[in-house]
Amino acid sequence: MRSTVPLVLTFLVGLFMVGEYFIPHWGYHVITQLLLEWGLILAAAAFLLGLFNLIQVNLPKVLNREEDWGYKLVMLISLAGTLVVGFWGNTGRLNPGEAYKWLFDFVFVPLNATMFALLAFYIASAAFRAFRARNLEATVLLVAAIIVMIARVPLGESLPLVGEKLPQFMNWIMDVPNIAARRAIFIGAALGAVSTGLRVILGIERSHLGAD
Amino acid sequence: MKHLLLLALAALLAVAPASAAELTVEAPPDNDGLNLDLSWEEANDPAGWGVLRTETGSDDWTLLKVLTGDARSLSDKVTTDVWEHPPAESYDYQLVALRTVPDLADVEDEAAAVLAAGSVAATATGKPKAAKLRTGMKSKNYGPLLMLLIIIAVGVMMQKFAADVRSGKEVFIRRIPGIDAIEEGIGRATEMGKPILYVPGIDELQDIQTIASMLILGQVSQKVAEYQSDIIVSCCIPIVREVSDEVVRAGYYQAGYPDAYNPRNTRFISSEQFAFCAGTNGIIYREQPATNIYLGRFFAESLILAETGFVNKSIQIAGTAEATQLPFFIAACDYTLIGEELFAVSAYLSRDPRLVSSLKASDWVKLFVVICLLVGTLLTTFGFPIINTLFSISGG
Repeated sequence: MRSTVPLVLTFLVGLFMVGEYFIPHWGYHVITQLLLEWGLILAAAAFLLGLFNLIQVNLPKVLNREEDWGYKLVMLISLAGTLVVGFWGNTGRLNPGEAYKWLFDFVFVPLNATMFALLAFYIASAAFRAFRARNLEATVLLVAAIIVMIARVPLGESLPLVGEKLPQFMNWIMDVPNIAARRAIFIGAALGAVSTGLRVILGIERSHLGAD
Repeated sequence: MKHLLLLALAALLAVAPASAAELTVEAPPDNDGLNLDLSWEEANDPAGWGVLRTETGSDDWTLLKVLTGDARSLSDKVTTDVWEHPPAESYDYQLVALRTVPDLADVEDEAAAVLAAGSVAATATGKPKAAKLRTGMKSKNYGPLLMLLIIIAVGVMMQKFAADVRSGKEVFIRRIPGIDAIEEGIGRATEMGKPILYVPGIDELQDIQTIASMLILGQVSQKVAEYQSDIIVSCCIPIVREVSDEVVRAGYYQAGYPDAYNPRNTRFISSEQFAFCAGTNGIIYREQPATNIYLGRFFAESLILAETGFVNKSIQIAGTAEATQLPFFIAACDYTLIGEELFAVSAYLSRDPRLVSSLKASDWVKLFVVICLLVGTLLTTFGFPIINTLFSISGG
């Protein structure tokens, strides 16, 4: 019973939602939108559970002075501080000069940008490893990458002899072999998604339903 | 005399309608069928535009909006309450070029006030899609029908192949090293006494890649439980954590070790992309998992996670259908599941006949798609785009 009801619900709702694609009637759309809104409400309610999970995982480590408890403490203080400041600011919390807005602009945004900026260094180190010409495939990758990189910078166009042709060749690499490979991935992934969706809707796949 | 003529001309210009504008009304392809998009061109810039609407055959004009500045388009939702006011078959529109922008405060009949303040520059009629659909599918758009047939064909083939497998017929599945590596990775983590880190992407639960990741997590957690190892699941979306918690619990239960499950190892980190990334990197640095599994939908954080795992010397297995992130995973991970392979993991690991049958069904449809691509390319090259028309899913 514990898994039968979710299976039946999944089948009915899944079939109904798929049906929207084939029955583009406004009345049908209204009901699917309503179901999606219910989903959003459920997802929003899960944020509260996420908050409890954060506290449940991190607070005991701070109380028991487990390894690296200092990081957890900083996280919990930040969480509590942001919550209090957010509630305190109420609907005007995003107005200039408000504490919540200050936290967002001068703490959250710079930290976010810092993490994103790390990507540049990681790309360099990953590219260094990926572009080593160990075999034929890696060599093709290396040559294609060098052409694309050089053609994308102003220096590439000013190179003697090949300068004019380089951007054209780069465009060909991006538009023909690159797009062909991407489309193959998209088609395969789309078919995989259809069969995964069918497996879930038809109840063949059940591991997501949890323990009996 | 000359002054009189100029005066008469000025007076005429003041009351004459602006030069005729060309108003077009179109039903946009991607909405709920209740919208009509209006756009127009006009040589002489008036003080503003008034847009009026009525149901065709009625004189009850309603003012939609008064627009000033460079506005040359408007999107009109013909009804906001489809139950009380269902959409009509068609609507007439009047575009009024305003000499002056009227003050509509305390005006009872806004449409009349706008008409008095200008002159009608153009009229047009539009049919919302909802009205067309209410009277049945009239468009010759076979794309959705073909898609329906493909879905039914996949379902039928799944049943057929499942019956074949149950009757003892051998079904060949090509070896996928990335999936084989999952079990090796779990074994390695067990030998090293370190945990396994599982990241189910950063997208919402309704995304098919996240769903596929949840299905794989069930198999992986069962294997982890059998090996008596630990799995840490790092989640970016709260509801994904809740489902992951249930899935991992089920995995331990099915392996026969329900008490070994530690719910504190299924963690919600943050719903912010880079905060989640920083938190997961923290787990990699501090808890030093021996194996990192990234399966699901990833964006810019993919390389940051994978490179951190590489520095930590973890075995890394990634899988996504996100084409833009695949190169990063391929560069930084030991094994990468590309596109469709992500959706095959669950069947591959379980070897359940019914799941394996879905792989075979997908393969047959893929063959059909490849044949259609080749035939379509040939036919289109010779000027017969029939396959393009058949597969077209836009418009309608």
